[in-house]
Amino acid sequence: MGRILIVDDTLFMRTLIKNILFSGGHDIVGEAADGDEAVAKYKDLKPDLVTMDVVMPKVNGIEALKQIRAIDPTARVVMCTAVGQEQMVKLAIKTGARGYIVKPFQAPKVLEEIKNVLGS
Amino acid sequence: MTEVPVKIEKNGQWVVSKIDIQKEAMNLQEPLNRQIPYKSIVDLVEKKNILLVTLKGEPGEVVRIASVEKVLQALKRVIIMSCSAYRLTAYFMSPAVRGGVLVTNAQWEKGAIAVLKSGIWFVSQNKQVSVPLREVAGIELTKREVQNKQVDVVKIDHLEDSEVVTSFVLCPLSTLNVLFNFLKDTTKDMDMAGNELDALGAQVGMLIYSGMDSHAIENMLNVSHKDLDEIYDKLIQLGLAEVMFIRKEVQLTPKGVRYISEAVKPPQ
Repeated sequence: MGRILIVDDTLFMRTLIKNILFSGGHDIVGEAADGDEAVAKYKDLKPDLVTMDVVMPKVNGIEALKQIRAIDPTARVVMCTAVGQEQMVKLAIKTGARGYIVKPFQAPKVLEEIKNVLGS
Repeated sequence: MTEVPVKIEKNGQWVVSKIDIQKEAMNLQEPLNRQIPYKSIVDLVEKKNILLVTLKGEPGEVVRIASVEKVLQALKRVIIMSCSAYRLTAYFMSPAVRGGVLVTNAQWEKGAIAVLKSGIWFVSQNKQVSVPLREVAGIELTKREVQNKQVDVVKIDHLEDSEVVTSFVLCPLSTLNVLFNFLKDTTKDMDMAGNELDALGAQVGMLIYSGMDSHAIENMLNVSHKDLDEIYDKLIQLGLAEVMFIRKEVQLTPKGVRYISEAVKPPQ
């Protein structure tokens, strides 16, 4: 089970992801609503994994991923985006994302992906 | 060509037999002694380890064949490639996304797509994927990057063992349009305007999609049981959801209160 930081600009999505991860026995160590806050909380909390929305105000998810990977090259970040933004996948994976989930998603598959990434 | 061991249903009983897979037909051996030309097959459905082969006619006769995975794979391949169906050569990627999680090792596979009566089949050297039309949850003609080029693809969302799976088909645009229009037409009863639900209804729908139960939804959205029931009714009425089971909420009767009060008393 991992210590997880959830990054998404909508409270609804953060709550949904939090519920899913919590049901899988994970510990939610923090939440952030934009890329800047995500980077700051990553430094502060040192989570085992980050779920990162791609499209966010201020600093977007890809940029935040870059900054987090610069701080910690072993950081495990799973990107999260809406249907139709799959072209971001390549860029995110090139930038160092360990996994990618597309909204809407199903809880068991998300937990499986998180488990895989935590074990990698 | 090849003889394979099977069980075939005859008058409600499973009969041990063999099928001789020929180029133009399959010959059901003793005790059935029957030839089925592939061109007479109009539909193929797989349910666990049973193939349901539908023959031409109104209603078409259904031949049920059971066997081990390896034999069924060989049978499926030859039936799909030779039966009466619309077939096209294409590249496909299935699954590309499963339950919202990107399948990172998904690859384009060259093969054939056969459109049968109740579903479409993707067939490649190593893979046979069936998408029953009743399980198609979405179709979109879109673009996807392939070898650094944006190309037209058909994106198909379908249900597979209650998981939402996304597959992509890539072929020349004219053929892609034929496939897209066919799928669009056969699933048009699922088309909706998109404004049938208000924001709260859509959020509830999203949470159901994610696998949340009513208790979790009430807590997450801070809605009452009564309000959630009304939203559920609307989803059911629109054909967007169906009742899985009805859970009871009860309170104890005086008899129940007495029983529990007694039960929790320390032993004398």
